[in-house]
Amino acid sequence: MFLQTLITGLSIGGIYALMAVGYSLVFSILNFSNFAHGTIIMLGAYIGYFLISWFYSSLAISLLGAIVGAAIFALLNVSLAYIPLINRKAPPLYLMITSMGVSIFLENMVYVTVGSHFYSFPEIFKKSSVSFFGSEISTLDLFALIFSFIAISGLHLFLTRTKMGTAIRAASYDMTVASLNGVNMNRLIGVVFILAGAFAGIAGVFLGIKYMVYPTMGWITSKAYIAAVIGGLGSLPGAVIGGVILGILETFVSVYISSVIRDVFSFSLVIIFLVILPAGLLGKYLEEKV
Amino acid sequence: MLKVENLNVYYGRIHALKNVSIEVPKGQIVTVVGANGAGKSTLMWTLAGVLKAKSGTITYNGKSLPASAHDVAAAGVILVPERRRLYANLTVRENIIMGAFLRKDPEGIKKDLEFIYSLFPILKERSNQYAGTLSGGEQQMAAIARGLMSRPKILLLDEPSLGLSPLYTSEVFKTILQIKAQGATIFLAEQNAHKALEIADRAYVLETGRVVLSGSGKELLANPKVQEAYLGVRHKAI
Repeated sequence: MFLQTLITGLSIGGIYALMAVGYSLVFSILNFSNFAHGTIIMLGAYIGYFLISWFYSSLAISLLGAIVGAAIFALLNVSLAYIPLINRKAPPLYLMITSMGVSIFLENMVYVTVGSHFYSFPEIFKKSSVSFFGSEISTLDLFALIFSFIAISGLHLFLTRTKMGTAIRAASYDMTVASLNGVNMNRLIGVVFILAGAFAGIAGVFLGIKYMVYPTMGWITSKAYIAAVIGGLGSLPGAVIGGVILGILETFVSVYISSVIRDVFSFSLVIIFLVILPAGLLGKYLEEKV
Repeated sequence: MLKVENLNVYYGRIHALKNVSIEVPKGQIVTVVGANGAGKSTLMWTLAGVLKAKSGTITYNGKSLPASAHDVAAAGVILVPERRRLYANLTVRENIIMGAFLRKDPEGIKKDLEFIYSLFPILKERSNQYAGTLSGGEQQMAAIARGLMSRPKILLLDEPSLGLSPLYTSEVFKTILQIKAQGATIFLAEQNAHKALEIADRAYVLETGRVVLSGSGKELLANPKVQEAYLGVRHKAI
């Protein structure tokens, strides 16, 4: 029971981490909470769902499609909605409000075009499970856990080993100086959103498989936001640690106490963190955060 | 040659630079001295393409400089900003390599890194440390190193001696002369007027956004007005 709960917690934590990484990436560069991120996750889930249920594609194709599709949506989001504001030197608060508008717009576009149905992924993994030290562990949990780990490690390698990755970390500290070094800031922001979108696509498919696909599913990113706050907004290792901690604690609370109290617990946790450790576990910079 | 003509820059409603004209000939050290708030940094940030001029022209070899900062950097005009502005979350080595962001010659980058390490051995020792852990003087070395990694055609140095001990200040000025000896063109803004004028081929004095004096470094060093205002020399009241 304990091990099973732990693995489930880790896999949910992995999905939270995937979502939180996208949040944090954008936050670290542009200093605002991108509330449209959840909507991009939702779009990724729809793309993944339709690829599997309409075209009978494999999970790999569905994931790939969701990654590419969500990345394109994220890129459109930033180029059409945020870049014009950034070029006018709008403060982060304006960007945050714009992101809320984008989110509402896209959600309603889905209502209008696809409808408000709840879709559930075909049962690919749900019923299968593997035995592991006497506990039954769902294959989906295991797969989500491993895949999240691989994706996040890949991102880490990109950020530490490549020129563009180093530039992203540099710009997260000082954007003006990065442009003095010849970094085209609009292009860099585009790359950041493509990465965040790709991670949103992965998270969307896993969320869709685990729960359901519906227009407002993106609001589950409030959990990713909590994860990012716990870990320290803008810090990528923080987002991962925060996501995993939140996933494990939540799962233990729902298994050992009650699943009703789960969300009460998560939101209480973020309040406690904001009071005691407002910068999160690994966050350093508190000025000008919105 | 970098040529600035009748440059006017505003911060909101504040007229920060008033009809500033400056020339920086190839291979020389040109300095602009002035008190705090005279507009030195404004001039530097405008040259680097971060601040926009209201009017006036900035040309480099007869062509006007591009509008955005990264294109200015690509044109070879590289600013080492005031207060170093290193990426504290990156290692020293990563900071220096960031200067080579636009370069696509791995071999050349490697060679230049070696050269920079020979110029500043302390940076080699500290290469894997986070830049935020360096002392002020070491940070200035790293900032200059980052600028040099861009293979600048013109290096803009804004207050490189700010907040440094006298020892490090001398070190920085020695480095500037070394860089010049390599054939670089340097435009230097300094509060430490004495040191700056000593090494400058040509110098300008900036006062509340206006160029009030110009001449060779030596001329300005000998100028009683400059001596009184910037060099701490007292002339007897007449």
